[in-house]
Formats: sequence, structure tokens, C-alpha cells
Amino acid sequence: MANRSLAILGLFAEFLACASEHRTNLVTAILAEDPAQQLEIIRKLADTSDPIVPQVLAAWRGGTIYIFETNDAKVPFYLDAQLDSDGKAKGIRVIDGEPLFEGDKPMLFLASDLNSADTSSKLRKGIKTTLDLFAIGNPDPKIRRDAVIKLGQEQNPENISYFESRLQREKTGELRKTLVEAIATTQIASEDAAIRFAAIERLREMRSINALSFLEQLHKDAKAAPAKFGEPTVDATRQAIKEIEAYIARGNLVGTAFRGLSLAAVLLVAALGLAITFGLMGVINMAHGELIMVGAYTAYVVQNIFKDAFGAAGTGFDSYFIAALACSFVSAGLVGLVLERGIIRFLYRRPLESLLATWGVSLVLQQVFRHTFGAANVQVSSPSWLSGSFVLQDVLFAYNRIFVIGFAVFIVLLTYWLLTRTPLGLQIRAVMQNRSMASALGVRTDRVNMITFAFGSGLAGMAGACLSQIGNVGPSLGQNYIVDCFMVVVLGGVGNLVGTVSASFGIGVTDQILQPWLGAVLGKITVLAAIILFLQWRPAGLFVTRTRGLEG
Amino acid sequence: MKPHLKKLMAATCAALFVLAATAAETVKVGVLHSLSGTMAISETSLKDVLLFTFDEVNKAGGVKVSGKSYLIEPVVVDPASNWPLFAEKAKQLLEQDKVAVVFGCWTSVSRKSVLPVFEKDNGLLFYPVQYEGEELSKNIFYTAEAVNQQAIPAVDYMLADGKKKFYLLGSDYVYPRTTNKILKKYLQAKGIPDSDIEEIYTPFGHTDYQTIVAAIKKFAAGGKATVISTLNGDTNVPFFKEFANAGLTSENCPVVSFSISEDEFRGLPAKDLVGHLGCWTYFMSIKSPENTKFVKDFQTWLKEPKVTGAEYKVSGIDAKGRVTCSPMNLSRMGVYLWKQAVEQAGTFEVDKVRSALVGQKFKGPAGEVTMQDNHHLVNNVFIGETLATGQFKVVKQLGAVPGEPFSDKFLPKVTASN
Repeated sequence: MANRSLAILGLFAEFLACASEHRTNLVTAILAEDPAQQLEIIRKLADTSDPIVPQVLAAWRGGTIYIFETNDAKVPFYLDAQLDSDGKAKGIRVIDGEPLFEGDKPMLFLASDLNSADTSSKLRKGIKTTLDLFAIGNPDPKIRRDAVIKLGQEQNPENISYFESRLQREKTGELRKTLVEAIATTQIASEDAAIRFAAIERLREMRSINALSFLEQLHKDAKAAPAKFGEPTVDATRQAIKEIEAYIARGNLVGTAFRGLSLAAVLLVAALGLAITFGLMGVINMAHGELIMVGAYTAYVVQNIFKDAFGAAGTGFDSYFIAALACSFVSAGLVGLVLERGIIRFLYRRPLESLLATWGVSLVLQQVFRHTFGAANVQVSSPSWLSGSFVLQDVLFAYNRIFVIGFAVFIVLLTYWLLTRTPLGLQIRAVMQNRSMASALGVRTDRVNMITFAFGSGLAGMAGACLSQIGNVGPSLGQNYIVDCFMVVVLGGVGNLVGTVSASFGIGVTDQILQPWLGAVLGKITVLAAIILFLQWRPAGLFVTRTRGLEG
Repeated sequence: MKPHLKKLMAATCAALFVLAATAAETVKVGVLHSLSGTMAISETSLKDVLLFTFDEVNKAGGVKVSGKSYLIEPVVVDPASNWPLFAEKAKQLLEQDKVAVVFGCWTSVSRKSVLPVFEKDNGLLFYPVQYEGEELSKNIFYTAEAVNQQAIPAVDYMLADGKKKFYLLGSDYVYPRTTNKILKKYLQAKGIPDSDIEEIYTPFGHTDYQTIVAAIKKFAAGGKATVISTLNGDTNVPFFKEFANAGLTSENCPVVSFSISEDEFRGLPAKDLVGHLGCWTYFMSIKSPENTKFVKDFQTWLKEPKVTGAEYKVSGIDAKGRVTCSPMNLSRMGVYLWKQAVEQAGTFEVDKVRSALVGQKFKGPAGEVTMQDNHHLVNNVFIGETLATGQFKVVKQLGAVPGEPFSDKFLPKVTASN
């Protein structure tokens, strides 16, 4: 028993000695005058497994290692995470992790008063490489992956041993692939023709997009000096480049389709409310954009409430967005209700006046929000489940885009169900087709109008909450979307849900197909011109709603 | 009785104040910044900092001309982000109000619109916002960063960092287009092949950055790539959100933005911008006694904004979460340079002040600046990395760089030395 505890004690002592050696090295590196020597020490530190090394290196690179100068010595230190009431912290020495003392009191420092230990950009890069080598073993697979890719691109043969030792322990399939890719990318710079050739073949089989530019470079070099590289290298790289490019082209197709779909969903979400207020009810609602804005600001307010209640991260905060969607439906719906009761109901038979009135309302709403929330945009941060993306076959699918697509499907189905499967929907359709007849049959048209307008406005509000995840939230938010919304509804055919859906789909996909060729500006112009031409040919839009009204 | 007494005292104070105000001479100074419309977001801060500076100057006794003290009386006009209105308001300031000097303009188009007015009436304009150069008027002093004080140092920094591929992304108007044209020539001179330079523009208010970010992702796949962004104001929000969602970070593809300063940061999603870079001649985080004083005094002033000794009533100032940034610092330094020149010349006369301005030095929050005879400053350039707090951390100091408006003067020189 005593023996065992002695052995443990021995191990512990050894660990301490080892740790202090790393700390000594760190201090030497920080204080060294010669940058070459600094780089050498930093590189060697990569072989250690002591967690203090990456911690201090990261702090040094980030400028939070400071130097305490006494008459005869320089002592590098960092600040304790614990701050006192004045924002001051203890200075912790790098050499032993103990606080700096003045007499018997620990010394306190304010971060903003201190000057950090110097780093040059070359040194920062060296530190970064060492940190990357540490990051290969990081528990977070994403960090591991980024580090491996980055180190692979350095094409430094010294890194291969790190990759291989990790490869033996790595269990995640995707990461194993990244490691193999990094090794192969490093090896194509090898002098040994056999190794180089095998690496090219491997990259070809993997269809490695990351290695494409390196292969291209090698191909160019090999063609310029065939004597040095040999004919097989030229052929192999040419073949590899060809196959990878074909693979990229296939990925592009899927990517464009997805991006088109997601732009279509954005347009649809923004325009669906208008499809109801303008399409079904015939109110030229220029304040539609501002109703979207109301929804977006509601999301902002809800976010702040959740931030106060749960802090700026975690599940509590992340669920704010669900609440925000509901709240923005209600708040924009209420604004719509007031708008309908206060102004629009007097103007049902006078479309031009309703245009002017709603435009006025839109200006008023903009100013009200500008006054309440300030002229600058506000920040709506995305919950963690809407940030990031996943990659399938090298095509990127962002979570917030997928969410918008799903959300678009959801609200279209909801609206469709409401209009065709509920008594209210029946009444709405009756009133829209023939107001006086519906009224004669006992439908309370006034009430139906009110509810329909509020529902359309509520949809606009939800759109606002949704759009706050992909764009700006500011007083001019509505202005950015109003033109697109009218474009979608008019192109689709006024009064027709199917039309709205297909129009947004058409515009979205066409725009994304054209953009890579023509650029964002010309692409948009082309789409607009195409719509104008189309409306010349079919003025009523894609789908014409037949009514029995005289004007139809 | 008591309320009466108070009123009486207030009245006496007011009378004394008016007396004091009328006793000292005043000089009218114009402020020409949009306080409404799209540019209001940025330009309002400049108006605020100018009023603050006037207050500073007046508190210290005003502008002293041949033994007499003149207090600054601001004349603030609102050109409402409307370019022709800029020219009209400038005309009003010069011909009707007869101001001694004007501080103003943000966009290049507004500056181009007032330029003929200033030349015709022989006025004096101080312009404080980084711009594309290729212009020099005897009536304008450009405290702003020229291309060789912002874009070129930033690109140099990226080149030194081992970057080999450059994606130039900008909003579609004169500043990004001219800057990118110069940068492209510069990069070519530095041996970057055309195939590794991409130049893309998006319209104002563009919200769909999917295609562009997908293209950047592909562009950056081989590493060593960087984005040089001249995107304007709020288009940065959808861009950076998309950028972060695509798994691009400052580690695998850093973005250098020329239009994002601390002030713009207030409306941007901070966590998506962390680690990306900015290049300016001033950062709020710079440590110097002058800067600590500037930041502290400005924030104190915001709580009780007034211009001492002037009739102008300051109103509508939002004191919440305010910061300082490079255009604000340059606005303020413009006022001091003008004051020094007037005091040296001993007159407010434009021609004499102009010649006195050249060679004028001022020790500002980010170090000393000197006005050159090309009407641009020698100024210290810094490269900073954005932090989650909306501040920049200086990662490189480039020291004093003399501003040069004309690209043909600095481009060939660079090629030759290369």
C-alpha cells in the first residue's frame, strides 16, 4: 500500500518536473530576442501534451500575455479569469502558475493598462502552426478538422507524423478522410516520384476539392519541367484535375438548385401575407413591408427578453425563436387589425386611395420604429440550432436556409388548409368572390374582412421574424422586400395561392442560375426584364383566377 | 416665494449668459452632414463629434485671432442624404451664413456634388471619411484615409501573411470600384496572377449572398485566400451571416473590411465578425493619454450635450452605447488643424488659412498627424482584428504613412521598388 502511494507520488513529481520544463520553455520563447530561436522553441513545444502550452501560446498570440519588469528580470504573466469589483485581476506567472506578489499581497492589474508581449506576424503564424498541431487532438471534431485542413495546405513533410499518429486513434469517418487527404496533399510535393504518384491517385479517388489548386500547380510545374517530374505525373494530375472538376460541376448543380429553392422560400415567406391582403382582398397594401418589419422587431424584443432571463446562450435562449415566431404573428396581426379597422375598411372600393393611405401608414410606421429603436440596425442573433451548416458530397446546406424552406412549406400548407378546409376559409372565399352575394346569404363580410387582413398581416409578421435570421433588422427592412413581394404576387396571378408559390419558385431558381454568370446586379436586372416581358404576354400572371365579376 | 426666487435666479443666469455670449466674438462654422435618409446612420455620429469638439474649443477659450477670442457658433444643416441638396446646402452655408469653414460629407458623390460650389465661392471644406482618391481641390482638405493609407497597407499585410488569392467584393458604386481597380493593378504588380483575383459587386441593399459565399468557399478551398470587402453598411449583415454559416472563418479565409468601423459595428452581428480585420488610422482601443481623454470626454459630453458659448441648441442625441471611430477622430482633428492654422495666419480669410494649413501638425489620439501640401495627412495606420465586443485589437502598426490621392503616383513607385 505504502509502496503504491509512493509510486503515485513519484509519478506526480515527474509530471510536475515535466510541466515546469514546458513552462520554462514558454518563458524562454516569450523573452527571447531572436525570432528564429523563438520559432524553433515554439515548434518543439508541439511535441508536448501539457495543456498549459496551448493555453499560454493562444494567449500570447491573442495579446494577453504581459511582461512584468523588475530591475533585474522580466516576468511574463497572464491575468486570472477571476475579476474583482474594479475589473482588476491577479497576475499569474507563466513560469509556475503562481500569482505575482508585492510583499505579501497579490498584485492586481487592469487589462487595459497593460502592454502585451510583442508578436510579429511571422511569429503569430508559427504559434498558429503549433496550436494547429495541438488542435489535431482537440475533442471538438470541427476544430480538429479545420486544423488538419490547414496543416495539410502547408505541405510541410514534418506534419505527416502528426497526421499518422492521429489517424491511428481517430474514429470519426469524415475526419479520417480529412487526415488521409491532408497526408496526400502534403505528399504530392514529395521529391520521391512513387510517393507523389500514389498521393495524386489517392486525391483523384477522393475527388478532393481542397487539393485542386495544389494539383493544378503541380500540373503546371510538371508540364514546365517534364524531365524533373516525369510524364506520368503530368498525365496523372491532368486526369485527377479533370475528375475533380467534373465532380465540382455536379455539386454546383445541386448547390444551385438548393440555393434557388431557398431564395424561392424567402420570397414566398415574404410574399404570402401580401398574396392574401392584396391577392385575395384586393387591397394594394403598401404597408406590407412595414408589417414584416414589425415582425422582425418583435423577434428582436423577444430575443432581448430571453437574453435577460436566460443569458446570451444555452437552451433557454435558443428557444427564443419559437416564441418570437408566435409573438410576431400576434403583434403584426394586431397592427394589421388596427390598420384595417382604422383605415382600410373605408377604402375597399377605392383602390387608389387605399394605395396612398397604406403608403402613408408605411412611412409613419418606419418613423415610429426609427424613433423607438434608433436609426441604426439592431442585432438579432441566431439561435445555435439555426447557425452553421452541414456538408453532403461537398455541397453546403445551411441550417437557416433549410429552416426557411421548411417554414415556407408549413405556412403555405397552413394557409391552404385554412382557406379550403375550414368554415372561415369558405366564408373568406365567398366574400372575395362576391361581396354583396355573400352578405345577402348572411356572411358577416365586415368581420371576415377584418380577420382575413389580420391573418395576412400576421403572416407578414412571421416572415419578418424568419427574415431576421438571414438579413438586416432596421427601419428600412420593409422597403427592401416590398418590391419583391409585389413582383411575386403579380407574376403569380392576383388572387391565386398556387400562382404565388410557382412565381416565387420561378424567380428564385432563375435568379440563382443567372447570378454566377451575370453577377448579382445584371442577374437581377435580367430577371426583372423577363418578368416585364412575361406580363406583356400574359398580363394576368401565371395563373388567372376566373371570377364571375363583370370586370373579370 | 421659493419658486419665485428660483425663477428670478434662472432669469439672472440667463441674462448673464446672454451677456457673456454677446460679449465674446463668434465665428460661424458649418456642419454639412445628413441627419435623415439612408446616410443618417453614419453621418449623425460625425455631427455629434463636431459639436463636441466645438464645445471643447470654446471651453478652452475659442479660436484666438490677433489677441481676440472667437467662440465657434455652429451652423448645422441637413442635406438629407440627397446629393443635389448637398450642393444647395453648401451654397447656403457659404453665401447666406458666410461660414468660415465647413466640416462635412460622407459619400464621395456628396463631396463631388459640393466641390464646384466650394471652388466657386472659395470656401473651405474638411472631408473626414476614407475614400478612393483621384481628386484634389484647393478648397478641400482631406483628413480622410487615402487608398494608400488603408487599402494598400491592408493588402500588404495579407501578402505578408502568405495570402495568394484575393476576392475583391464591394457594393456597386464609385468608392469600391475605384479602390478595387487600384488594388487590382497593385496586386498584379506584386505578381498575383489574374486568375487568383476575383472582382465582384452587389447592389445596395442586396440580401442574398448565397451564390457569392458559395463561390468564395470554392475560391478559398486551397487555402491562402482572403476577401477584401468594400461592402457598404448593412449589406454586411446578410453577408457575414451567410459567410459564417458556410463554415468560413477568419482562420480559413479572413475578410478585411474597409467600411466597418466601431460605429458601424453597433448594428452588426458581432459573433459572426470576430477575427476579421479592419484597417484605419485610428481605433477606439488605442492606448494613449490623448485617446483616453477623447473617449472619456466625448462620452461624458453625450450625457449633457451643449456647445459652450454658442446660441445653437444641441438636441436629439442618443447617448446609449456610443463609441468613437476613425471618421469621428478625423473630423475632430480637422477642427483642431483649422483652429491652429487660423491662429497662425491671424485671420479667417480662406486663402491665408489655406497656406497656413499646410505643414500644420496635431498630436491626436492615435499619434501626430501633419497636413501635407497635397491636402492629405501624414497619418499613422493600424491594422486591427475585430473582437466580440465590437472593438478592434491592434495587430500591426504601420507607422506614419503620407496620404497620396493619385494612384499613379504610388502605383509605379511600388512596381519599381519591387
